[in-house]
Amino acid sequence: MSKDDTPKHELVIVGAGPAALSAAIYTTREDIETVLYERGVIGGLAAVTDIIDNYPGFSKGVTGLELADSLRNQAERFGAKIELGEVKSIINGGEYKRLVTDSGDVLARSVLIATGSDYMRTGIPGEEKFYARGVHFCATCDGAFYRDKKLVVIGGGNSAIQESIFLTRFASHIDILVRSKLKASEVLIKELQRFIDSGKITLQIGITPKEIVGDANGVTKVVGVNKDSKDQDFICDGVFVFIGLKPNTAFLANTKVELDARGFVITNQDFETAVPGVFAAGDVRSGATMQIASASGEGATAALRIREYLEGRTREVKNNLSAAA
Amino acid sequence: MVKNITIFTTNTCGYCQMVKTYLKAKGMGFDEVNLDHEPHRRSEAHRLSGALTVPVTVVTKTDDSQEIIVGYNLAKLAPAVN
Ligand SMILES: Cc1cc2nc3c(=O)[nH]c(=O)nc-3n(C[C@H](O)[C@H](O)[C@H](O)COP(=O)(O)OP(=O)(O)OC[C@H]3O[C@@H](n4cnc5c(N)ncnc54)[C@H](O)[C@@H]3O)c2cc1C
Repeated sequence: MSKDDTPKHELVIVGAGPAALSAAIYTTREDIETVLYERGVIGGLAAVTDIIDNYPGFSKGVTGLELADSLRNQAERFGAKIELGEVKSIINGGEYKRLVTDSGDVLARSVLIATGSDYMRTGIPGEEKFYARGVHFCATCDGAFYRDKKLVVIGGGNSAIQESIFLTRFASHIDILVRSKLKASEVLIKELQRFIDSGKITLQIGITPKEIVGDANGVTKVVGVNKDSKDQDFICDGVFVFIGLKPNTAFLANTKVELDARGFVITNQDFETAVPGVFAAGDVRSGATMQIASASGEGATAALRIREYLEGRTREVKNNLSAAA
Repeated sequence: MVKNITIFTTNTCGYCQMVKTYLKAKGMGFDEVNLDHEPHRRSEAHRLSGALTVPVTVVTKTDDSQEIIVGYNLAKLAPAVN
């Protein structure tokens, strides 16, 4: 009989954002051997946000990078191991689930899906062509290239407004193109008003972006369609797109993990998916509130449910062994 | 063989942090050009990468050839520094 020497873990967490790192703090403190896989930034979307003002415990706010660092250090202090790499799929295999990663397969008795979500694209002409040469999705990464330049931001939700406010430290002027109406929190809208009053930001309501136009040097304008169905030009040097988020669940396509119509993972109240031993927490979960505090809370709760699951499994395996003896 | 590595970064860029984390974990040294501290070098990063983004990692080999990696892209970064 050939021996399977695939590495075995008690818990593999897919992702290392706030939900994942919070879960890891709990599981490692319970002595559950825990490995996280992260394909992007440790700290997830929180790490690419400039200032977080509503995470409890930081009365003066905290930068995304600082919060990410603290969460990471705390999880590692208790023994969590973070691998830099991507989980490509999960194969349900009874007691152990097989995870296919870009550095080889691993087996896990339990899995926590905490893969969050990513920015959606508009799909309009020019977006792909000028990607990173005038079209951007990360203000904290690319804003610095637009000192004293004119920008367009596409989107009207919390992210679009928060990122526009961040970009005012670089840009000379920002047009925010909003298709229907602003969907941001009252606090953000109040802050935005200061920049509208100072002339730094102009809200362009009822504009549907149609095309991003440019030349060899980069972007020159965004063409939008206004309420009267007329084309309107917005002259700019760069465009930042924040039109919402889509869940990172493509890697679950061939699994029995159930997804809702928008692709978010469906769980029961114990954060367990349709596959026993596979849990989900944070922004990737159907019904999540898309906040760092709630993602952390979900991670912590899922960790405690995972502990119960692993304890149950241990009892079950021991009972089966003694029954077979 | 790698002769030296330079990373163009900014203060707020999470992906820059990841390139540094990866190189540190491999025990590799690097020079950092922080564009918030040295804004006049933005055009250099742009010229090298053709992109208006950070991180830009410039890996210079012992034969003075250069590999330029735009963004945090392990599939390109790992072979370039190994
Ligand atoms: C611009 C912006 C501003 C925000 N501001 C605030 C704020 O002020 N306050 C607040 O509370 N919330 C804010 N949020 C929301 C907050 O960032 C999220 O709710 C939170 O980060 C969700 O945490 P998470 O762990 O569920 O997912 P994420 O933070 O998205 O982390 C998931 C991680 O999983 C990784 N991953 C995905 N797929 C794979 C895979 N197959 N293999 C390995 N790794 C994978 C991703 O790379 C990512 O790092 C903001 C969001 C945005 C976009």
